Formats: sequence, structure tokens, C-alpha cells
Amino acid sequence: MAKFRLDRYKPLLALGLFFAVWWIGKPLVQSFLQISFTEFQAPSWVATSHLDGLAGFWARRSHSKVELIEAGKELERENARYQIMRQRYRTLEDELSRLEAMLEMPGRREFRHEIARVIRREQSAWWGRIIVRKGRNYDIRVGAAVVFAGGVVGRVTEVHAYTSEIDLITSPDFRIAAQFEDDPRPVIYQGLPQDGFAKPHGEVRDVPQDLLASSSQPIKLVTTSLGGTFPAGLSIGTVDWLQPGSSGIFQSGAVQLDPRLLQLREVAILVPLEAGTHSHVF
Amino acid sequence: MSEFDIHRRENPRILLLFWVSLAAALFLVLGLVWRQLIAKEAFDQIEKRQIERRILKPGPRGNIYDREGRLLVGNRPHYSAVVYLDDLRPEFRKEYSKVIKHARKEIAETHNLSSNPPKPNYANLQWDARMNVLQRYIDQINAITGRSDKVSRTKLKRHFNEQLLLPLPLALDLAPEQYARLAEKLPPPPRSPIRIHTDTARYYPYGSLAAHALGYVQSTDPDAEEIPDDGIKTFTYKKIVGKTGIERSFNDHLTGKSGMEIWRVDPLGFQDTRLQLVPPKQGDNLITSIDIDLQRAAETALGERIGAAVAIDVQTGEVLTIASHPGYDLNRLSPYIPRNTFDEINQRGAWLDRSVQLSYPPGSTFKLITAIAGLLDGVIDANSREHCTGVHRVGNRIFRCHVRNGHGVVDLSAAIEGSCNVFFYARGLQMGIDTLSEQAKRFGLDQPTGIELPFETRRLVVPTKEWKRSTIGPGWVPGDTANTSIGQGFLLVTPLQMATATASIARGETRTRPTLQALSSDTAQKIDHGGEKIGLRPEEKRILWEGMERVVGRRGTGRLVQIPDLRIAGKTGTADFRAHGEEVNLAWFIGFAPIENPKIAVAVMIQGADASQSYHGGSTAGPVAKDLFLEAIKKYPERMGFPIKSD
Repeated sequence: MAKFRLDRYKPLLALGLFFAVWWIGKPLVQSFLQISFTEFQAPSWVATSHLDGLAGFWARRSHSKVELIEAGKELERENARYQIMRQRYRTLEDELSRLEAMLEMPGRREFRHEIARVIRREQSAWWGRIIVRKGRNYDIRVGAAVVFAGGVVGRVTEVHAYTSEIDLITSPDFRIAAQFEDDPRPVIYQGLPQDGFAKPHGEVRDVPQDLLASSSQPIKLVTTSLGGTFPAGLSIGTVDWLQPGSSGIFQSGAVQLDPRLLQLREVAILVPLEAGTHSHVF
Repeated sequence: MSEFDIHRRENPRILLLFWVSLAAALFLVLGLVWRQLIAKEAFDQIEKRQIERRILKPGPRGNIYDREGRLLVGNRPHYSAVVYLDDLRPEFRKEYSKVIKHARKEIAETHNLSSNPPKPNYANLQWDARMNVLQRYIDQINAITGRSDKVSRTKLKRHFNEQLLLPLPLALDLAPEQYARLAEKLPPPPRSPIRIHTDTARYYPYGSLAAHALGYVQSTDPDAEEIPDDGIKTFTYKKIVGKTGIERSFNDHLTGKSGMEIWRVDPLGFQDTRLQLVPPKQGDNLITSIDIDLQRAAETALGERIGAAVAIDVQTGEVLTIASHPGYDLNRLSPYIPRNTFDEINQRGAWLDRSVQLSYPPGSTFKLITAIAGLLDGVIDANSREHCTGVHRVGNRIFRCHVRNGHGVVDLSAAIEGSCNVFFYARGLQMGIDTLSEQAKRFGLDQPTGIELPFETRRLVVPTKEWKRSTIGPGWVPGDTANTSIGQGFLLVTPLQMATATASIARGETRTRPTLQALSSDTAQKIDHGGEKIGLRPEEKRILWEGMERVVGRRGTGRLVQIPDLRIAGKTGTADFRAHGEEVNLAWFIGFAPIENPKIAVAVMIQGADASQSYHGGSTAGPVAKDLFLEAIKKYPERMGFPIKSD
């Protein structure tokens, strides 16, 4: 009987081992790198952002006392204005709640908001993404709506330990249900590939045929609460041109978004709340 | 000269081979020429048939508006979640190999000792794999929308075999919230194969108003002649056709133009490249003559009662209102009629359009025709008087008036005012059934009006001696004439017919051609209703109209219809009718206004639900007509003579 010689099978074993590493190791490494990449990089981004803040602080320190006093006065005026608006908002909110209770309407979805600093922007033709300086440490969740003073910013797609990634409203992967102001019928908004120097834009489809839009009379596209992600009434953009879609009955058109989306410094993340938690109601 | 040349010239076998080879080469060349140049078209066609597929998509239907441009029937989005099976092929393959492995394992475990284990049924396993993949996606949709849809094997097979290029619906009739949630929670294609498909379904902003007149639609397979006969395999979406009402009558006008896509497909029949796209076009819009405010007034006044109300523009014949109760909310029938909804409507008898599809005895409203016949025949004139004692003897039979003690001595105007049966028994018997029938026929009461509504009844009866002999048997007796002269007996008409007859009387003509289309002012000027002048002398017309005005006067049977400052000519009627084996009352009111320049003619009929309900023309149907007149004044004050100009 021939003696079994292991060394004859060495090349085969080596090949098998190589394939095993290739098949199993590669996805593991990829996954590890993908997860750790952001986490490893995040501290440097966060540090850069803090340094930016510090630079801003020192730049302001160099202002003269007169300028600072003027700015302080302006701030006081703004604060006073916001106090009045806040009071008016609370009164309206109370009235709304009273009417809702009277009509036995179901409660609206409530959100807590987290203001977060933008620390990185990734803009290309195919996606638009920003990274903010808050993550799991602030209980940010995937899918949460992100807004700013001009309306919708996007949606949280990934949450890391100290940072979160947000898919911008301009991204072709971003799609939400929307409605036109004063028209309850739902339509679909979706981002589009962006040109380098053009204003941010997206597209709207499933628009009923009776709606008209022109450059002299653009119509405003706002969020609807039907989808559950966004509160109703937040601005998405304006539509000044609609054309018949391929169905022959619905229209589609371009949505002009707020140009400030390209220079965001701070955003608010709306984290849905469990019932009974104190919150700002949208 | 080579050695071979000698062979070629001298060896007959070589020569034969040479010529045969030459002929074969020539044959091949000719064949190539034939196929490439001459038969190219035919081969192109074969190739086209093999690699091209057509998708036909019907265009949306046109909208229907009322005469003031308000949307009565439109199209609303109809959402569904769909997948193209082509997008799922890699998953089908993956799942198939999993399913096969699992099946083999199971067989091995069950038949581990058997020398000849059974083979798995591969065809079934393939369907199982497809079902599994689809159910996973449906579960994903269910999780987002809260529905509990399931994939159907039969539907999947049918779709695979017959509609491979069309999207397979996974969840139909999504509510707007479900549509919105899917749009937000599902990643857009190509990251997810699930697409949100938006189609159209009919939408009725006014719900049940004018339901019978507007009609509903049904989806059906397209006709064979709509598919181009060029051999390319065609997939078609269902098209929507009008089933009843205006939707049916104006189906061609409202139907959109189909759009078309031509796709190049791979050998398995899945789409590869789109070669052509022709978008569908919406059908033409239709502006109807209906005034939805008047329609609402009529239907509100009818309430829960069984009946019909029609209002017509006296001059043009445009139907302003055509209501039938009980009705149904048309939105419940769109995009399809659920079985329980069908049964519920059926149980209430609401499918029937009582304004045109059922015929009823007109009761005393017919006395106007008897009066006209009498005036034209000469048996009635300004001096005609009849003494009503409450009864009238015809042979051995006693015919009663509705006033037990009689009206006393009445002339034509008073007889119309008080709806005196005895007066009309006497004059009807005097002129005879032939004259009476002839006049009723002159007003078209024996024929459908020809309105653009389907299924207008042909069961219309203006009895004659011949008619009775041929349909019932026994000969005509004077009692039949007496009954006919007060609108009872065998007479059967529709509420629409009575409205057109009223409009004709108002215009002094015998016919009114009703239409549901809004007419342009030019067309309205040239309108020809196809009748003739009634032929009453002015004095005769005055007596008749005076009687009609007195009906709506202080002592008339239709006094509840009175409206200050509006002169209305009317006639009430109460008839007996057999419905569902029970004798029930029918309450009628017909009339027109303003008398000075008639603009609107109305006919209202209300049917008692059972024998216990005692309905009367003046008190039951009259108020409905009054509401119609009031709404007409509100909507068209100038045409109705308002505000009153003081001299």
C-alpha cells in the first residue's frame, strides 16, 4: 500500500486555503473597513469642526467693542422677536390641541429635535451627503428627518458613535411623498443627479393634471405627514414647470430647491418620540 | 498545360464534378441573393415577430363637466405596488437552486434506503421559488403598509404566461397613506425592484349626485381590432369602458387614445431594450347640460324617497337636472364594484334609473293632454261646463272624482285647478280614445325621447283599441277611455317624457328633444325639436294656461308650489301603481315657469314605498318642484324674470 504523502497535496491545500480566505475573508475585511473607516475618520472630522468653531470664535474676538455691542443689541432684538413668535406659536398650539381633542382626532406624531453641526459635505453628480457631529451619543436614529430654516435637508442613513450620515434631498436615492401647498393630493418627490454649478434641483411626479405651474406663478412643494417620516408643511422647493408624464394623465416637473442647501452649517434632526415624552410637536 | 487540365478536358467524371460543383455554388449564391436582397422584407418580419413585443396602454378617459365647468367625473390616481419579473430573474435563479437543494435533501431523508428515490418535480419547484421571492417582497410591503396581501400562484402563472412584459401587481388599491409610506420607506429602483405604479381610476367629486345620469365604468380587455395586425405579440392593459349613463353613451368621445411601447426581448421573452414609445392621450372632455346646483336641490328635496325629478330648458331641451332615487355613491364603484356593494345597491333597487328606465301611469298630469285633445277636437271650449257631483256613470260602472261631494259646476280652468275627474271623464268619452291617443302620440308619449342615455325604456303605452286587442285580448270599453282621460288605466310614461311634454306645452309645440350635452348659443338658436305647433288658438291656450296657473294658485291642488313673484303653470297628479305586488301611490307634479316667458320645465314623480304611505301630487311632489324653481331663481334670476321690474 502506497504511503500517504501530505506534501503532495500541499499545492491543493494552499489553493483551497486561498479560496477560503478570498471568499470568507474579503467580505469580513470589507465590512470591517466600511464600519471602522467612518469611526476612525470621525475624530479628525470632529476635531476639524471644533477647530473651525474656535477659529470663528477668535475671529469674532478681534471685533471692536462697538461692533460687539451692536451685535449684542441686534441679538437682543432678535431674541425678543423670537419670544413673541414662540408665545404666538404656543397659543396656536394650545388652540390646535383643544380643537383636536374636541374632534377626537388621533394625536400627531411628535418629534424631539437635535441641532447638529455639519462637519463634512460629500457632493457628487450621483449622491449628496453630509455628515453631522451627532450620532448614537445623542440617540439619533436611521431614517430620521433632517430639516433647516429653508425646509427639508434629507434623511439620516447611517448613525455612528459620534457622527451621522445624512442623505441630502438632492440625492437620487432620496424619495419622499409630498404635496403641493393647499392641495392634499400626494405626489412623489425624488432627487436627481446634480450638475456641478447648477442650483440644487429634484423632480416631482404623479402630479394631477389640473395643477398648473409657471415661472410667473410657481407652486410650492411641501412635505406631507402621510409617510410618517416628516411633519406636514415643511418646504421642499418650488415648481415652475410641469409637463405631461408618460401615463398621459399625471404630470412631472423639476423642483427648484433652496440654494442654501449647498452651504449648510447646522441642521436639525427630528427624532420621533415615544408617546408621552415632552417634545416639540410638528 | 498541366496534368490536371488534361483530366479536366478529357475525364468525363472530373467534368461532371466540375459542373455539379459550379451549379451548387451558383445555387448557394442565388440562394444568398434571394434571402439577402429579395426576401429581406419577409425575414425582417419574422425577426420582428420573434424579438419584438408591443405593450398597449389605454389612454385615460376624458373628464365630464357640468354646464358651468364644474368637474362631475374626473380621474384620480390609483396606486399600486408592482414588480417587473425581469428584475427578479437573478433572485428567482438563486431561490430555485435553494429550493432544489432543500427538495433533494428532503427526498434523501425520506427515501434513504430506497434504491430508486423519486426525482423532484422541477417545474413545480421553479414556481415555488418564484412564489417565495414574490412573497418576500409582498411581506416587505405588508410590513410597511400594514396590509396582509398574499401572492396567488394562479395569478402569477397567468401573468408569466400572458403578460410577462407588464408589471405584476403585488398590492393593489393602495390608500394615499400607504402610497406615501411606501414611497418613503422603500428605496427607489434599482435599489429595490418594487415600483410604485400610478394609474387612474374614475373619481366623482359629487358622490351620488346625478349618479344614474353620469353612469359608471368597468375595466375590460381591449377589442381584437384595437391590436395592430402585424404579427408582433402584444400585451395589453385593461381598458375602461362606460357601462351605464353618459359614460356609456359618450364612450367613444371620452375614451383616450392608447399609448404604445415596443420592446426588443431576449430569447426568454424578458424586455431588453425599448425601441418605441408613444404616450397615451386622454380622451376628450364632455360638457354636459346638467347644472349640479339644480341637481343637488332636486336630490336633497327627494331625500330618501323613491322617485325621479327632471328639469329641462324649455327652449333648447337641455336637461338641467335628471335625478333618480334611491341612488348610490359612484365612488364606491371605482375602480371596481365590490360584490357586497353590488348586492347592497341591488337590494335597495337603486341600480334602476327611474327617470328613464321605468314607466308609470302619469295620473292627472295627463289631463293636460286630454284638455288639449278636447280643445283641438272641439269638445272643449271656453264655454264648456260640467257638473261634478263626485261620480260619473259609464255604463254600469261608477267612476269617482277625488272630491267625494264633487266640484260643482266647473269649466276647463276650474277642472284643471281642482283636477276634476268628472270633467275629463265626460270630455274624454265625448272625443273617444282614438282622438285622445292621437294627441298623446303627437306629444311623443309612445316613444322613447332619444336622450343620450342607454336603456331608455320602450315599455311606453299610449293605449288604442288595436293595442288592447293585440296585447290584452278583450275589446275596448268606454271605461278604458274614461280611465285613460285621467291618466290611469293602461297609460305608461317616464318622468323624462312628462318633462319633455311639459316643455313642449310651454313652447306651444308637440315635441321636445332632450339632450344632456351643453349646447352652444349658435346651436341653441338653430335647434329643431322635430315637432309641430300644437295648434291651439290664443283663447284656447289662455284657458289652458290659466287653469295651470290656478293649480299653483291659492285654491289649486299645487298651492304648495307657490313662489311669490313667480308665475308658475303646473299640474299635479296622483296615480295608483302596482309595485312588488302592492298597490302604491304615485305623486306627480309637472310645470313650467315663468308663464310670461317659459324657461324651465320640471317633472317630479315620487313613488310610495308601500301601501301604507299616502302620497299626493300637490303635497308630496310639489315641494320638490318648488325647490327646483327656487334654485333656478337663485341661479338664473334674470332668465326667471327676477328682480321684478316695477313700471
